[in-house]
Amino acid sequence: MSKQLTQHPDHAMLVEFSAGTLAPALAICVSAHLHFCEKCRAELMSLNQIGSQLMTQAEPTEVDDSLLDAVMEKIDQAETMPSKAVEQETLSDFPFAVNQLLNNPQHKPFWKRLSGSVDIARFQTGQSDFEVALHRICAGGKTPKHDHQGLEYTVVLKGSFSDEKAVYNEGDFLVREPGDIHQPMGAQNGECICLSALAAPIKLTNPFGFLMKPLLRINPM
Amino acid sequence: MDKNAESGNRVAVLNRSEKRTDQWTLLLIAVGEKRDRAAFAQLFKHFAPLLKSFAQASRHEGWFPGLSEDLVQEVMIKVWQKAAGFNPEKASATTWIYTVARNCRIDMLRRKSNTQHLPLENEDFWHEADEETPVSLLRQRRSEDKLQNSLSQLPREQNEILRKVYLEGKSHAEASTELGLPLGTVKSRVRLALQKMQILVSPEYQDELHHE
Repeated sequence: MSKQLTQHPDHAMLVEFSAGTLAPALAICVSAHLHFCEKCRAELMSLNQIGSQLMTQAEPTEVDDSLLDAVMEKIDQAETMPSKAVEQETLSDFPFAVNQLLNNPQHKPFWKRLSGSVDIARFQTGQSDFEVALHRICAGGKTPKHDHQGLEYTVVLKGSFSDEKAVYNEGDFLVREPGDIHQPMGAQNGECICLSALAAPIKLTNPFGFLMKPLLRINPM
Repeated sequence: MDKNAESGNRVAVLNRSEKRTDQWTLLLIAVGEKRDRAAFAQLFKHFAPLLKSFAQASRHEGWFPGLSEDLVQEVMIKVWQKAAGFNPEKASATTWIYTVARNCRIDMLRRKSNTQHLPLENEDFWHEADEETPVSLLRQRRSEDKLQNSLSQLPREQNEILRKVYLEGKSHAEASTELGLPLGTVKSRVRLALQKMQILVSPEYQDELHHE
């Protein structure tokens, strides 16, 4: 990664990710960001040490000796079974968790036109708090101006886009609060693909935006 | 080069650069490289009781005490199976085993709850974290001893929140409800704790990284 990332998850999110208490939809986004961000990866290694220290400081609870035998037995059983570990082929240089979702055999995501310049592919993530999806904006494409009724988390996976505030590059992790009105625009030099987790329906502010409402309907799976 | 010489070298390298040479780390390396059952039994003796306490500390919705020994078993089986992938330059054995336990605990809960269509295991989220991390960044990390020390010196209310989050498995929002504190207060206590423990990558260092 040559460019320095400017947008990171906040420390509270990293702590929750490290403790395993972050909602799965958001954990997917943090995990995607880590693919690009050395700084957050290093910080997480330290945060894991907190969990590890707290675990070892606790009063140990007695474990029956037979448990070790049971574990050894299961280990031996497992080792006589043929290994089913198949190296999964990586289809792109996308983050691992995103590739897993793209290759989900139970629900193969597909691209669907959202507007003239935006396509969406929704993921099945087994929760209903967030819609998790990829958005693809064509080069120079404008998305409809919209605001949010709920939080939206976005990670740039490929290319870049800009809004009224800044330019966002691969790996940048953005949070949009309810009420933030913005109009992202794809960079001129190529398509932009973003991962997003969206907490509630978004409302179009463009007078003709209502035409797209059925397609923008939040659709967590 | 034979196996023993290789692991001997690895230990020497670790010693030279003052990396992790605590006994658990050495035992875990032995399990990974030589499938050493005696080493595994020693790890089990030390970690199984800690893992059981970690399991019992869970206040996750849907967790019940009967799952505790299941978790101990599942974690220790994973430790055996994945030991070869353990990299002592990135984490001590204790921290590595904690991450295995954390992932197992979450996955067990997700399997029990019926809303299960998430095609990911918790360790999948951590896949990226195993990518190359510059040694210079790793070196910035605090030693486990220092961290333990600074953790024990935290004010009680900061320590309490970290325990709720890491051991009980509460989100910041859940901790705020339980403690009757605004979410902002919970978050700022956590941030203060991290600052005191000096485990955040400093802004100056980020600049340095950029110029590397």
